[in-house]
Amino acid sequence: MKRTFKAISTYSIAAITGMVVLASCVTDPDSPGLEYMPDMYRSPAVEPYVDYGRVQGAEDMEKKMVQSAMTPPAGAIPYYGTEAAHVEVMLPYHRLAPATGDVTHGLYGWEKEDSLGSEYNAAVADKNPLTLASKEEADAMFKAGKHLYETKCMHCHGEKGDGNGPMVTSGAYAGVPDYKTKTDLADGQVFYSIYYGKGAMGAHASLLNNEQIWTLVHYVNKFRFDDYMKNLPAAGEAPVAAPAAVDSTVVVEDVHAEEAHH
Amino acid sequence: MKISNSQMFRVNMKWALALVLSVLFMGASQSYAQEGESLFKAKCATCHQVFKDMTGPKLYEVRKKWEDGGAKEGSVIQWVQNWQKAVAMDPYAKQVSTWSPTAMSVFADLTDEQVVAIFDYVDAQEEKVAVVAGPVDGTNGATQEEESLSFVWLILGAIFIVIILSVGGVRRQLKLVAGEAEDTGLTYAQEFKAWAWKYRLYVGLGSAVIVISLIVGLFLTMYSVNVMSDYQPSQPIDFPHSKHAGLNGIDCKYCHNSVEDSKTAGLPTVNVCMNCHKQVQGQGEQVAKIQKIYDAAGFSPEGGGQYSGKTEPIVWNKVHNLPDHVYFNHSQHVKVGGVDCKQCHGDMTKQVETARVVPVEELSEIEGNIKLTKPTLTMGWCIECHGAKEISGGPLAEGVEGDSYYDEIHRRLLNNDKSLYEGYLEDGKVTVKELGGWECAKCHY
Repeated sequence: MKRTFKAISTYSIAAITGMVVLASCVTDPDSPGLEYMPDMYRSPAVEPYVDYGRVQGAEDMEKKMVQSAMTPPAGAIPYYGTEAAHVEVMLPYHRLAPATGDVTHGLYGWEKEDSLGSEYNAAVADKNPLTLASKEEADAMFKAGKHLYETKCMHCHGEKGDGNGPMVTSGAYAGVPDYKTKTDLADGQVFYSIYYGKGAMGAHASLLNNEQIWTLVHYVNKFRFDDYMKNLPAAGEAPVAAPAAVDSTVVVEDVHAEEAHH
Repeated sequence: MKISNSQMFRVNMKWALALVLSVLFMGASQSYAQEGESLFKAKCATCHQVFKDMTGPKLYEVRKKWEDGGAKEGSVIQWVQNWQKAVAMDPYAKQVSTWSPTAMSVFADLTDEQVVAIFDYVDAQEEKVAVVAGPVDGTNGATQEEESLSFVWLILGAIFIVIILSVGGVRRQLKLVAGEAEDTGLTYAQEFKAWAWKYRLYVGLGSAVIVISLIVGLFLTMYSVNVMSDYQPSQPIDFPHSKHAGLNGIDCKYCHNSVEDSKTAGLPTVNVCMNCHKQVQGQGEQVAKIQKIYDAAGFSPEGGGQYSGKTEPIVWNKVHNLPDHVYFNHSQHVKVGGVDCKQCHGDMTKQVETARVVPVEELSEIEGNIKLTKPTLTMGWCIECHGAKEISGGPLAEGVEGDSYYDEIHRRLLNNDKSLYEGYLEDGKVTVKELGGWECAKCHY
């Protein structure tokens, strides 16, 4: 009898071990499966978003907490080529963050204005540097604006700019204004609001660059004003005064571009 | 009692008058309430909600709150029109002004009656009962069920084997005890040897089958090495794509912001989450999940929402991982090539649980996707798509000259070597492969 029990227990242990081995292959969702040379997937060469804390199954918590997506050093300016007009647009925004922007919008580490609202009020004077001289230019601008709007704004502000985006109609979000009620804002203030956020809206400086925001200002103006940029001449019929104005700005921009190089 | 005609008439007149008056009054209050509603939506709703603090505090019964708080009469109306004037004359208003660092706008154009109309409209609202969680999609449940089913089969099989073997053992012991089989004094191994020799034909065939199936099994296992299909690591926050991209219609590119400009699609930083979650605080089990975002952002929803500046990173687990010797660039595929996200990542608007590597079978079922067969994220899969994907547009195909990157490629092909170009177009399209999409150095360097 003793032998019987021994046989049964031996077989059972073998079977259970086999099952556990098999099951461990099948059910662990945190395992990416069999890897050949895992250090090819988590190699020492820095790749974004790769977890360097886990190499060959071993966890290194200290390394795991090291961010692979780094913030650029303070004051770093991305290189935007040598085209002066473009570089001018892409230079860091000259308006300072709202005085309370750190507490209300999490803008810690940003340079702030002295008195609340002073920069927002001063932004009335800022003109959109992306000037539209012809109908073709406007069409191209609105086409680019539409793409940006659909990816970055539409879910709240709605396809027609009436504040009824899918976020609002699903009941998740409330209080998105209709652009038609915002006709009293200057272009510069629209830019300021997108860049630093306003009220319930968060800062979008990390999602959009200056050129994209100015493009959106053009596009949003189409919602705010019914006849915005509707009466532009076709290309070739542009008014005579325009080229002179462009020349003067180019001179200023060249100076900035040189500064950027130094 | 008898009532004369004239009396009757007088009574009716009274009632009629009352009726007319009340209808008039109701009509007036109706339009009054309507004015309150439209004014609230146009002027206040951007910052104030009725039952919840937002950028500004909730407005339900705010007049009562001011009264209870000891505010001077009428100062709440003065506050709406110009809060600074109210602060100057009423200490309670001064206290209110410290509720949030955000200053309220000035509404000097609102009359006293209009402000009262807004408050009347707000106080007439009824709080809706919280709706908990949306419909749950069943797709993931099904795959899990399948897995657990195969697990059950494994257990059953193991139990079956144990029973067979132990019954065999018991029979043998019984035979020994009953003296039917003589104890030869041989060990199990020697007995087995003798038995195997006796039935050598069957044993030989059987072991051939076993060896062949082991080899096949080995190859199948080797084919699964580095195949990450269906990989779904756990995440610090159970992020439901179905709620964000599906129900709420947020574009993939809002959060995966660098997908058009960079090699990586980008994982949203917490400030992007906060663009919506500053207001969306969730219900039921969502609250704890959203609290994790608040902890990371250093945010507390009290007082219109305030950031403390004490942030901490969220450690997400990377789902789609390519080995180091493969170069893959998102912007090339999404912006230049015009490939839809769902070609490789599946329909995320239906992904209820955290992100996973969607198996190729599911990818091929999605409408508009190029049908592929090799496992997701393997080289075969990439190559297969490069062989099938047409580069968009072209002067011969459409007869119109566009200005996209690939229109220019088409134009150059046409001008450089027309016969080569026509050779490419024999199957009606110029594929990525024909432009060098199968060159090793395209992805490995």
